[in-house]
Amino acid sequence: MATHQATPARDNRTLLLKLSLLACVMFVFAWGLIPVYDALCRVTGLGKLLQPDVVSATPAATLAAPIVLTFDATVQPGLPWQVRPLVSTLKARPGEFVRVDYEITNASNRRVIGQAIPRYLPAAAAEYVKKLDCFCFAQQVFEPGQTKRFPVVFVVDKSVPAGIDSITLAYTIFDVPGRS
Amino acid sequence: MAIADTTHAGHGDHHGKPHGLARWLYATNHKDIGSLYLWFAFSMFIFGGVLALCIRAELFRPGLQFWQPELFNQFTTLHGLIMVFGAIMPAFTGLANWLLPLMIGAPDMAFARMNNWSFWLLPPAALLLLISFAVPGGAAAAGWTMYAPLSTQMGMGMDLTIFAIHIMGVSSIMGSINIIVTILNLRAPGMSMMQMPMFAWATLITAYLIIAVMPVLAGVVTMVLTDRHFGTHFFNAAGGGDPVLYQHIFWFFGHPEVYIMALPAFGIVSHIIPTFSRKPLFGYTSMVYATSSIAILSFMVWAHHMFTTGMPATAQLFFMYATMLIAVPTGVKVFNWIGTMWQGSMSFETPMLFAIGFICLFTVGGLSGVTLSIAAVDIQLQDTYYVVAHFHYVLVAGALFSLFAAVYYWFPKMTGRMYHEKLGKFHFWWSMIWFNVTFFPMHFLGLAGMPRRIPDYNLQFADFNAMASVGAFCFGLGQLIFLYNMISSIRHGQPAPQKPWETADTLEWQIPTPAPYHSFVEAPTLEVGENGAIKSMQGGKHH
Repeated sequence: MATHQATPARDNRTLLLKLSLLACVMFVFAWGLIPVYDALCRVTGLGKLLQPDVVSATPAATLAAPIVLTFDATVQPGLPWQVRPLVSTLKARPGEFVRVDYEITNASNRRVIGQAIPRYLPAAAAEYVKKLDCFCFAQQVFEPGQTKRFPVVFVVDKSVPAGIDSITLAYTIFDVPGRS
Repeated sequence: MAIADTTHAGHGDHHGKPHGLARWLYATNHKDIGSLYLWFAFSMFIFGGVLALCIRAELFRPGLQFWQPELFNQFTTLHGLIMVFGAIMPAFTGLANWLLPLMIGAPDMAFARMNNWSFWLLPPAALLLLISFAVPGGAAAAGWTMYAPLSTQMGMGMDLTIFAIHIMGVSSIMGSINIIVTILNLRAPGMSMMQMPMFAWATLITAYLIIAVMPVLAGVVTMVLTDRHFGTHFFNAAGGGDPVLYQHIFWFFGHPEVYIMALPAFGIVSHIIPTFSRKPLFGYTSMVYATSSIAILSFMVWAHHMFTTGMPATAQLFFMYATMLIAVPTGVKVFNWIGTMWQGSMSFETPMLFAIGFICLFTVGGLSGVTLSIAAVDIQLQDTYYVVAHFHYVLVAGALFSLFAAVYYWFPKMTGRMYHEKLGKFHFWWSMIWFNVTFFPMHFLGLAGMPRRIPDYNLQFADFNAMASVGAFCFGLGQLIFLYNMISSIRHGQPAPQKPWETADTLEWQIPTPAPYHSFVEAPTLEVGENGAIKSMQGGKHH
């Protein structure tokens, strides 16, 4: 007589355990993806926005037409900063060093830590803006009411396509939650 | 321990059905649990459908008529979540519960008590989603994909949604474990893997996909939860995290999820087309391999949902070509179904109509999918109504139509009565027409640039939107015909013979109609052909 006892309950239990283990492994895998992506971004240089760029020696300015540079900054609603660039716009040729100062004030009466994230318009210009110094490379600490002035030093690379004749550099300032 | 093995539950053989509420609350019988799943899925389908109609009512005309944008966003979000996790997935699990043991000659699912758990976790999860409308800030409104950083900022409705997803994830993982163990360990002697019915193959592969990716979804929503409440910065750029990371992890789940909702449909259609063409399934082996390769490829294409996130061109090309590759095994399937119909002696009962409707419309959805896979085109079409049209062609005309086909096809075996054929045909043609009136114009809207998930739109989109809204309301009303047909046929339908479809040859048609409460308490010895076709059956006892 053929019955289902042919496969003992133990086999079912073993398979149950194996499949549950697979589910747990996949749960951990979701976290495992984080270092994988992190390494991938570092290897491919995708996450380079927040590191100083290396610029070869002293790049001489070209004779190309100057590019209109606009500086901007936004603060998310509810966050305590006032941010303004001291110059809102200037012109520079590709290959020319540019320095612009940003003034950031902590308008609250508590100590806060901020992180600036740069953004470029047009987005295609991002890879041609080589930043040598920027307050966005590190988290910045602000005492209550403190005002700080930060320089941003950069070069627009000479290989910038002719189609890009104006670039907006915009910062968004976030607070780092859980650390103040 | 709550997990009982059916091979130990021998006492269940000797008594009949339990009665009253206890029968359902403590259900361990695979047919009872299957019915619970199917009714739950249908009520969620109605609930999700009402949300869809709220969306279409607002979009009937430009401007804001009924809802504030915040509420509108909650409707789109919950409509998606409920249809995916509350309607389509439980409906397929319900069908698998009902049919798998009958198709492979098992007495029940392998872990009957765990089966009870997997179902009864679903109503609390649905309740969490329902009450999230009433909490301060309302329900989750970040879209069913719950992208960070939007989802890390919303009110407590998002927390309820995250918990609901955890619960539904646990439920579907337990259901999948049950399916895999049942198929691998409880097949009747004589049925080998390469003879199994396509439906069993499809649910087996789907179950593996669920176990592989539902935990990833659970992981990523847990990260959202800790970002919201415990000061982590997985998706917060300021803290060293990255919002794009959310999309990578989510779509690692999300793309296989698409096939979790499509593969069982392929399995269903692979039984209905042969039966009503009076021919065996063309290319059974290639069907099995096509299903497996779709499942494997589905893990390699997730980033085609993210072409606009600023990926390097090399990555875009890789994901574009990998995505196009999926069209090959899918094309094999469509070819085989048409090959099955070729020179067949076809008849067009309701299940066949829905199956053919499925093939036609799923192919339309598949083609718009290939269009979207082209990175250069997708950048234009991302988040437009073209995408909405695409996935409703594969999910409504794909998954949902196949579910209707399945319910009509197996209704006689499940209930012992025939459904009302004329009403069934009417339901098909009504759904077919209004489905296309609703969703076909969305292709044009998307190509013209109308964005999805926005309650208002420019005047030039008005006509097609009005058309889509009329279609949606008619389509929705038509589903009440289905409900009426089911209820009245369960009560008063003509008694069904053991084999209502003359060439249906899988195992479930070899047992009495309606299927006995305890079927195959003793395993039959089978001689089986391809696609589960029974050549001879010996033994096999029922109560």
